[in-house]
Amino acid sequence: MAARRWVRTGAFAGIVTIFLALVGLIGGFTDVFLIGDEVTFAGLMLLLPAFVAGFVAAAPRIEGGERREMSLGEAAVAAAVAAASAGFVFALAVLFTDLIGDERIRPIFLNVSPSLMEFVAFGQSTVVGAVILVALSTMAGVLGGVLRAAPPVIRRPVTAAVVVTVLFGFLQRVIPIALDQLSLERDWLYHPIHDGLTWVGAAVVAAISAGISLLNTRFGARVRGSLSSSIGGRSGLAMSPVRLIASVAAVALLIAAPLLLGSVISEVLGTVMVFALLGIGLNIVVGYAGLLDLGYVFFFALGAYSLALLTGATLNVYGVPPDPAISGDLNFYIAIPIVMLIAAAAGLLVGAPVLRLRGDYLALVTLGLGEMVTVLVGSPWLVPLVGGPSGMRGITDAAIGGFAFRDPQRFYYLALAFVALAAFLSWRLATSRIGRAWTAMREDEQTADAMGISTTRFKLLAFAIGGAIGSLGGALFAVKIGSLTPASFQVIVSIQVLGLVILGGLGSIPGVLVGALVLVGLPGLLREFEEYRFLAYGAAVVAVMVLRPQGLVPNVRRSRELQEEERAQDEWAKAVEEGETPGELGPPAEVTT
Amino acid sequence: MTTERGAPILELRNVSTHYGLVAVLRDVDMDIYAGEMVCLLGGNASGKTTTLKTILGYVTPSEGDVVLDGNVVSGMSTAEVVRRGVSMVPENRRLFPDMTVEENLRLGAYLRRDRSAIEAARETVFETFPRVRERLKQKAGTLSGGEQQMVAMGRALMADPKVLLMDEPSMGLAPILVEQVFEIIKKIRELGKTVFIVEQNANMALSIADRGYVIQTGQVVLADTAQNLLQNPLMREAYLGEL
Repeated sequence: MAARRWVRTGAFAGIVTIFLALVGLIGGFTDVFLIGDEVTFAGLMLLLPAFVAGFVAAAPRIEGGERREMSLGEAAVAAAVAAASAGFVFALAVLFTDLIGDERIRPIFLNVSPSLMEFVAFGQSTVVGAVILVALSTMAGVLGGVLRAAPPVIRRPVTAAVVVTVLFGFLQRVIPIALDQLSLERDWLYHPIHDGLTWVGAAVVAAISAGISLLNTRFGARVRGSLSSSIGGRSGLAMSPVRLIASVAAVALLIAAPLLLGSVISEVLGTVMVFALLGIGLNIVVGYAGLLDLGYVFFFALGAYSLALLTGATLNVYGVPPDPAISGDLNFYIAIPIVMLIAAAAGLLVGAPVLRLRGDYLALVTLGLGEMVTVLVGSPWLVPLVGGPSGMRGITDAAIGGFAFRDPQRFYYLALAFVALAAFLSWRLATSRIGRAWTAMREDEQTADAMGISTTRFKLLAFAIGGAIGSLGGALFAVKIGSLTPASFQVIVSIQVLGLVILGGLGSIPGVLVGALVLVGLPGLLREFEEYRFLAYGAAVVAVMVLRPQGLVPNVRRSRELQEEERAQDEWAKAVEEGETPGELGPPAEVTT
Repeated sequence: MTTERGAPILELRNVSTHYGLVAVLRDVDMDIYAGEMVCLLGGNASGKTTTLKTILGYVTPSEGDVVLDGNVVSGMSTAEVVRRGVSMVPENRRLFPDMTVEENLRLGAYLRRDRSAIEAARETVFETFPRVRERLKQKAGTLSGGEQQMVAMGRALMADPKVLLMDEPSMGLAPILVEQVFEIIKKIRELGKTVFIVEQNANMALSIADRGYVIQTGQVVLADTAQNLLQNPLMREAYLGEL
C-alpha cells in the first residue's frame, strides 16, 4: 500500500525530470557551475526531483487522525523506493531516446541535444549511464528522506545550509561584484574561472548558515521574547522588534544595493523598482478593493506615452515630421503630476463602465481593455501621436539642474524614491477610512452598501488611485529606457504585475517588493535563465498558491484569516467533544434573492 | 407604544417595484411610527425582501414614494438612505467574516464622525449583548450562530438608526437558536428602537411585534395589530400552521 504511494511519488518526480530535460533546463546548463568543478546547475536539476521525491515520501502522514512520523530507517526505505522510481522513469526515457535515436526526437524537442544525452549518460554507454542515473537518484532521494525524518535540531541547520549555499551559487554574478566593490578578497569564495562557489567557499557558507539556523532554533524564541519585552513594550510600535530590525535592514540594503552591485545589476534593480511601482498600484485595485484587473498595462502605457508627449519626445518615424501631434515641453517633475491626473481620470473612465461587473467578468473586460491599448499604440492610426509601431524617442532623462537619471545607478534611486512615496501613500490609504471601506467592499459588497459605504465611489477611487500609481511606473519606465515602442506594452505586463502581487501576498506592500525582486529581479540577475522567465513565473506562482496561499510576505489580515480558519476548526472540534452545540461556523452561505 | 402617533417615521406610499417587466410589489402602503415594532409576514416570493430592498434603495420603486421622517428617499443611493438613518440586519446576518467583531462594529458606524457618540453606541451594544464584548478580538466568522446574530444587530445599532430593518433574522437557524434570536430582538425592542422586521416565522414575529402586515404576491392583504392577526382565522390558516 505504502510502497505504491512511494512509487507514484517517484514516478511523478521522474516525469518532472523529463520535463526539465525537454525544456532545456538540464542540457543547456551543463557548464553553469554552482560549486567547484562538480556541482553544475544541470546536475542539480537532474537530481533535485529525486531528492524532493525522497523528502515527500518520508513526510509524516496523518492516518486515522494520528500523526505518524517515520523512523530514520523507514524514511530511508521510503525515500529510496520513491527516488529509485524517479531515476528509473527518467532512465527509461533516456534509453528510449537512445533506442530510436535522439536526432529523431530533436525536430520536436529542440533541447534533446547530443550534449544532454552525453550528460545524462555520464560519459558512459547509455545502459551504464542509466544504472548510474538510478543509483545517483536513489542516493539523492535517501538524503532527502533522511533529512525529512531527522529531528528538527539536525533538519533545520542542514536545510538552511543547503538552501543558502545553492542560493550563493546562483548569485555568482551578484555577490562577487559586491565583494569587489567592498575591496574584499573573492577568490576563496568564488571560483575565478567558472564563476561557481569554490568548495572552501561553499563549506564556509554552509557552516555559517547552519550555525545561524542552530542559534535561531536554540535561542531565537528567547531573544525575540526579551526583545519584545524590552523594546516593544516601551516604544509603543505596532511592529514586533524582530520585524522592525528586519525592515531596517531591508531598507538599508535597498539603499546600498546599487553602490555595492555596480551598474549592470542596478539596471536590473531599476526594472524591479518600476515593477514594484506597478505592483503597489495594482495592489490597491486587486489587494485592497478586490477588483480583479487584468488590463493594468493600460496605465503603464498611458503613463509612459503621456510623459513622453508632455516632455517633448519626438516620433521615431521617417517621412513624418518628428514632432508628435500633441507635444509639451515640460520638466519631468512638472509633467509627473499631470501624468498622474490623466491616469486617474482614465481610471474613472475605465472604471465607470465595468462597475457592475464582478470577479471573472471584470477580469475579462479589463483584459480586453488592456489588449486595446496594445493595439492602439501600435496602430497606423496613431502614428502622428505616438509613432505607431516604431514608437518615440528622446524622452527626458528627468535631470535636476544637469544631474541626469538615465544612468542605471542614478535611475535606481529616482525609482526608489517614487516607490517609497507610493508605498507610503498606499500604506496610509490602507489604514484609513477609505481602506476600511475597501476591505468591507472586498468581503461583502452588498453588506458594505448597507453600512452606508458608497461602493460605486470606492471602486472608482481604487481604479483612479491604482491607475495613477501605475502611470507613475510607466513614466519612470520611459525615463529609464529613453524610447518607447509598443512591444513594451503587451498584455503580459498585466499578468507579470498581477503575478508579483499575488506571489508577494495580496494587500501587502513589502510583499509587492519581494514579489518584484523574485519575479523580475532573479531572472534578470541570472542572464542564462532569461528565456525561462515565464516558466519560472508559472512554477513560482503555482508553488506559492499551493504551499503558501497567503503569499510570501502576507498582509497581516489575510494571514490571520487563513490561520484563524484552522484555529476556529480546532475550537469547534473541541466544543463538539465537550458536548456543546457550537452553532454553525464559517461565513454565512451566499444569499440570492 | 402605539398610543402616541405623530407622522410616521417610515412610510411606503403606493409603492410598486418592478424587476424588468415583472411587478414584484404592487401598490404597497405601509406606515411605521417611532418606537414601534412592525413585522412584515409572507411566504416565499411574496415580495418581503424586495420591500426591504426598496426601502434601502437597492432598487428604486417604479411608482410611489418611500418617505423617511418626512423626506422622500426613494431614488437615492443606498449609502444616502443609510446616512439618513436606516440600518439593516441582513438576511443570514452577513457579517464580514474575516474581520474581527470590533471591526464589524466599527463599520456599522462608518458614516458617523462623532467619536464620543460612537463610543456611547458601543457601550449600548455591550450592555445589551455582554457576549459581544467578550468576543471583540475574535474573527466574526468563527462565532456561533447566535453570537453572530448579536454582532449583526450590534453592528446595525452602531449607526444609531431611526429605523432598524431586519431581514428574516430566524432564517436558517436551528429552532433553539430561533428562540435565542427573538430574545435578542426583544432586547433591542427594550431600547426603544423603531424596528421593521421581515419574517416567515409568523408566530414568533407576532408574539413580539406591535403590528403586522401580511403580503402576498406583492400586495398587502392584511394589516392589523399583532394581537388581532394572531386571532385572525385567515391568518391562522395560512401562516400560523393551523388547519
